[in-house]
Amino acid sequence: MYPFWEVPVWTSGIFIALIATFHILPSHLATGAFWFNVFIERKALKENRPGLLDFIKRYTLMILIFCFVYGSLTGVGIWFAATVASPRSISALIHNYVWGWATEWVFFILEIVTIYIYYYTLDKVSPKTHMRIGWIYAWSAWISMIIITGILAFMLSSDSWIRTGGFFDGFFNSTYWPQLFSRTALMLGIAGLYAIISASGMENEKDRNDVIRSASIWGMAGMVFGGIFSAWFLYKMPEAAKGLGLSGGLPYLKNMLYAAVVCYALVFLYMLVAGLLRPQLAGKTLGILMLVVLFLGIGAGEGFREGVRRPYIISQFMYGNQIIAADVPAKAIKSEKELFKDGFLAHIYFVPDGLRTITPENEKAVGHIIARHQCGNCHTFDADGKMRALSGLFTRLGMTSKDDIAGWMDAMEGYAYMPPFLGSEEEKQAVAAFLASKMQK
Amino acid sequence: MELTNYLNAMRDASGVPFYPVVFQFFLVLTFALHIMFVNFLLGGVVVSIWARIKATPNSLRLSKALARGSTINASLAMVLGVAPLLFVQVIYDPFWYTANSMSAYWAMAFLLILAVAFTASYVFYLSGSDKAPGASGWAVLALLALLAAAAVIHALSVEQLLPQMWKTWLISGQEVNASGKGLYAFEWHRFLHFIAPSIAMAGVYLMLYAWFFNGRKDYDRAYLQETATLGANLALYATAAQIAIGLWWLFSVPMEFAFYKNPFFLVGAGMGAAFFLFLMTARANPIKNAPVAALIAFLSIFLMSYAREALRMTYTGKVGYNIFDYKLSLDWGSTVLFLGTFVMGIVVMSYPILVAVQVAKNGKESNNEGLAKLATALPVVWFLVVAGLGIVISLKNGTLF
Repeated sequence: MYPFWEVPVWTSGIFIALIATFHILPSHLATGAFWFNVFIERKALKENRPGLLDFIKRYTLMILIFCFVYGSLTGVGIWFAATVASPRSISALIHNYVWGWATEWVFFILEIVTIYIYYYTLDKVSPKTHMRIGWIYAWSAWISMIIITGILAFMLSSDSWIRTGGFFDGFFNSTYWPQLFSRTALMLGIAGLYAIISASGMENEKDRNDVIRSASIWGMAGMVFGGIFSAWFLYKMPEAAKGLGLSGGLPYLKNMLYAAVVCYALVFLYMLVAGLLRPQLAGKTLGILMLVVLFLGIGAGEGFREGVRRPYIISQFMYGNQIIAADVPAKAIKSEKELFKDGFLAHIYFVPDGLRTITPENEKAVGHIIARHQCGNCHTFDADGKMRALSGLFTRLGMTSKDDIAGWMDAMEGYAYMPPFLGSEEEKQAVAAFLASKMQK
Repeated sequence: MELTNYLNAMRDASGVPFYPVVFQFFLVLTFALHIMFVNFLLGGVVVSIWARIKATPNSLRLSKALARGSTINASLAMVLGVAPLLFVQVIYDPFWYTANSMSAYWAMAFLLILAVAFTASYVFYLSGSDKAPGASGWAVLALLALLAAAAVIHALSVEQLLPQMWKTWLISGQEVNASGKGLYAFEWHRFLHFIAPSIAMAGVYLMLYAWFFNGRKDYDRAYLQETATLGANLALYATAAQIAIGLWWLFSVPMEFAFYKNPFFLVGAGMGAAFFLFLMTARANPIKNAPVAALIAFLSIFLMSYAREALRMTYTGKVGYNIFDYKLSLDWGSTVLFLGTFVMGIVVMSYPILVAVQVAKNGKESNNEGLAKLATALPVVWFLVVAGLGIVISLKNGTLF
């Protein structure tokens, strides 16, 4: 096991959650924006309205800075956060999908080259050439979504990959298409909202209102189709995920889904009223407020998607605590359940020599080390923990002694969303002793 | 558990989907491209601060041009950095993940520091007038942040090379440090060898800038000549410093490695020396010699990156780790997908770059109709092929409906 990074109060997962949620905004804007951009540019040429090109310049600069500074940084940030918070899971994804990511990287390069050239050659090349560069960007950006969606969907539904180990079997899995379609629609929704904000500062009223109306239609269509395809996604989710997210297995997940729907509905209403019907109402302040609402909606939606994966971080293959849960014969991978059942401590490299053998004096210290690896990805230990604090959980359950906790650990396999404890009886007692010591504080 | 056992046990159970030597080649190639733009960025910021403070009409113009270039170089450096980041995790995963986990807060801080650097670069560029960039304080902030980011990533890299120290760093008595707050290794010679080329590459950048705009009516000949001469001098003196720092570093490498005899090192160092000798003669006509200087500079970076990789293999070999015996789970499908896309990407990219070069040099584009049609069609063809493949596989596996 790699060294464990223990983040008090929140767990290390909070870093992934924050960075990944933020990243959705610039990444979806980067993928969706240029379809609208080339649409407006075409309109400007067709109707001979150079004023509309003012919007193109504003909108592109915003995309450049927001997506290719903060979007790129947070994209890399997700990798870094996963590296330090869940190294074995990101390693597993990379070793199976490295060529997928590398393929996506080629399109990243295309995006960045074309967007700078698009921005700096406006009015300097023929309209046809300029639009062609815009089209190359639009396709490249959307293709980057086509690729990353496969890897994200694989984490929820690995399907026949478990049997075949095949790249494409895992990639084109049962939730791939619904996720691709709903993300594609959502990217147009986000692009529409950004376009409204960007266009609200335009000086020519007719151009301003026309762009805002068009952006609203794109945005609302994105929201509506996003909703339809999201319903398809919910239908296509694995049964276990449905049990957790839709049938009340974990009630808070359903609440997150409701929160996402409410947020999207609010944004839809804003686009309808302050975009399509009364574009003069659109402004930067309200627009940015709506962006925050959309951000919360996305956060809730992504939280739902992440939450229903439990107990796995990679569907059927790897538990949330980074332990391999299943054989993959095609890749000669063996489940680690059997390997760890008789002793987990021997598989941790970073253990002080004095803690290699469990004694009554050191059992809490050993228990802490094992608990970090088996529980610490999702749970905090101290009473002040905000992220599924085990001390709070056991207090609510009335289990405060070492024996109570050890008994609960025996029963963990009965919980659909929890990985089993893997280790010897002695190690389990050590973990229970450590957790019980946290109760007494 | 012994260190060698740990390293080999932590290799990913999935194995690698293609021969490690291919990942290693792409690791070195993309690292060289990445570090070239990092050098342009860092060195460009240094020169733009100097030029901004000097505040003559020509230096302000240069400072503004460099400020604009810094924003583009930042984006390119960042995106190009994704690939080596990916490939290093494929073949050196036990080293990468261990070092980053030990210093987790620093790995996170690295991104925050970069955000500060890039924001300050943009403010420096956008807050000025048409003739000059904004206040130099923004560029100084960008420079400090870039140096801090470089120091962090350097420390994380050195930590990876010293696995025999890991337990000493993390374990104290009966405690295992899981705070992620420690940064454990720093080597000045290696760090300076990473930073000094920035000045040399900024010099090459200035030469290329003068060469590129040479002949344009809106670019004064004297301004371009002054810029190119400055560039050639910077490149020459910084390369001399780089050679001295390189020797310092070489003597700090454990003698048992006999790295001074390593063929990768000898070829890389030879190319660095050739670059220095070329610059000595190129100074007579720095505008004309700019493309060749840039080519030799890139080859030096590429070959020195290979030497750096050879050194890493020596370090990791000493603890019983060899990338070439990584478990192989060959996957031809995804390999072909990447290689095909890589070639396609070069073709597609050539079109907008050609247009940009034509406009910048001649003020207008030439007739590129054939390439334009091909570049616009290829992403659509890619989509149709992959979507078709996806539908067939989904139908075969029963996952579509």
